[in-house]
Amino acid sequence: MLSSEKTEELRTIDEINEKIRRGDAVVLTAEEMIKLVESSGLEVAAKEVDVVTTGTFGAMCSSGVFLNFGHSDPPIKMTRCWLNDVPVYKGLAAVDGYLGATAMSETRGFEYGGGHVIEDLVSGKEVVLRAESYGTDCYPRRHIETVITIDDLNQAILVNPRNCYQRYDAATNSSDRVLYTYMGTLLPNYGNITFSGAGQLNPLCKDPNYETIGLGTRIFLGGGIGYIIGEGTQHSPGAGFGTIMVKGDLKQMNSRYLRGASFHRYGTTLYVGIGIPIPIINMNVARTAALKDEEIFVNIRDYAVPSRPDLRPVVKRVSYAELRSGKVNIGDRDVPSSSLSSYKMAREIAETLKKWILEGTFFLTKPIEPLPRQREFKPLKVRGREIRVGDIMSRNVITARPDEDIKAVASKLVEKGIDHLPVVDQDGRLVGIVTSWDLAKAIAQDKRRLDEIMTRKVITAFENESIDVVARRMAQYNISGVPVVDRLNHVIGILTTDDISRKVIGGRCAQ
Amino acid sequence: MRVKLIYSHEVVDKPILASIILMAKIPINILEAKVNAQKGELIVSIPATGDKLKEILDLFRREGVQVQEFAETLRIDWDKCMACGACISPCPTKALRFREDWSLEFDEEKCVACKICVTVCPVKVISMP
Repeated sequence: MLSSEKTEELRTIDEINEKIRRGDAVVLTAEEMIKLVESSGLEVAAKEVDVVTTGTFGAMCSSGVFLNFGHSDPPIKMTRCWLNDVPVYKGLAAVDGYLGATAMSETRGFEYGGGHVIEDLVSGKEVVLRAESYGTDCYPRRHIETVITIDDLNQAILVNPRNCYQRYDAATNSSDRVLYTYMGTLLPNYGNITFSGAGQLNPLCKDPNYETIGLGTRIFLGGGIGYIIGEGTQHSPGAGFGTIMVKGDLKQMNSRYLRGASFHRYGTTLYVGIGIPIPIINMNVARTAALKDEEIFVNIRDYAVPSRPDLRPVVKRVSYAELRSGKVNIGDRDVPSSSLSSYKMAREIAETLKKWILEGTFFLTKPIEPLPRQREFKPLKVRGREIRVGDIMSRNVITARPDEDIKAVASKLVEKGIDHLPVVDQDGRLVGIVTSWDLAKAIAQDKRRLDEIMTRKVITAFENESIDVVARRMAQYNISGVPVVDRLNHVIGILTTDDISRKVIGGRCAQ
Repeated sequence: MRVKLIYSHEVVDKPILASIILMAKIPINILEAKVNAQKGELIVSIPATGDKLKEILDLFRREGVQVQEFAETLRIDWDKCMACGACISPCPTKALRFREDWSLEFDEEKCVACKICVTVCPVKVISMP
């Protein structure tokens, strides 16, 4: 809890604004605040400094823009709409729409999406608007295609439901294949670590008790002025993962701080620049505003496990300082680490916000309501029973031993009418697999024993895994069956694409 | 100077690189190596210029190794680079890294033109002509 001494007011927002007006407010970036506290101590810094500026510049998928196109003549009630072939949400009034950052172009896919359209609009580029409707008495038009720029729009209001994560868990990959994720490209066998967030410059990290940040806080947003309009979606303050919802006039923003982006084989997004001024209203805020990368911790999670984010195994807990050093020790070696968000741009944003305040063009606001300090972040419960591997796999598995004769094995396959034969040791543990194709090839090449031809690196599944995940795995490795094993690698079943197509019909189990 | 050394099957089993390193007393760095029984291809970085470099390259040629100047290199649109760092940890040779001021730095001498940075760059400002 906050002790009374620490929460005793040092200065009010009104007093700070008065100093800004007079041109004698003391404003430091978070990095400068850290240095001042180190050299002169917290007491002196708290006494001297009125405002600490922060900044972050990273991929923020929950971003988008409300648009009003104006009415054409004759008018149209747009029911479906695209900007540069990127779908715009049209469940609103006739010519209002919402363009989300992750919506992808119907013609260019991963290459171009809503984030790119937003960047193009802010840059003043021409954008192709296309819309369809069914036609009504009041809105007779059924098709429209034209070219617009941001100046043609009545409103373009950036409203981002979740931005500016207080901090974010880092990512790595223990598997033997490359993973393409929203945390970038993760190389096999802990080949690299990626992370996001500006750590010691990160806005919410600098006031983690939300004493100064809340509904109505004026901020730097995309190079213009914006406002916090409440907690962001998935706001999870208890765990230190607070988020904010923000809005601002896109027409005043700058494409330097709003960049359309795409993550290879994942999708499109928008890099958003946000800076929040932290008024040093008491000792407690002074202390948190001076927190360093060394004091801000996140987990490194293993994205090889196809589970929801909070269930991915934690490989290590590290500070932003360690992540930013370029390498993190995992096991017995140094794994290269690098950011996805730009620290250079975060710095630039904190500097710009500082400049605005010093110039007297940006004044601070007292939030109408602080961000909630308690909020449960619940997972989505899946009601009804989902089909798992165990529900449809064949339990009656025909297996072979490594020393068996190929011809004998081939006749076993023919006799049982199967294509996949797991190879097991004397304890029933999986050591390899052969398919009917392997056997045909082996007979043609006059091979004798099974262990000469079996595949030793077997792709497997567990009984409790979801069919969706395993079907995707089979497609990825281009295979038509997987042995199902227990945690000790004993073969307990086999699942083939045939089982999936025959037993899973319309998403339900036929049996 | 980055050079591609191509070994034919006649010479692929000879310790040519090692001999030349010992003979010329120069620390040649192997950036990438693809070697099998039929053929070998090495991309190496030779810390030399002018006559010294020519002398070393001739040593390779004399041993039957084909020498190609390794010209492939990245093009980075520096005005559009956000300096996010997404290309840094995937780079196998640490040719991409941060400068002191957190802007991106590219060390051409280390680049083996694997192009992973071209695919991982979120704003597609890295290309290979």
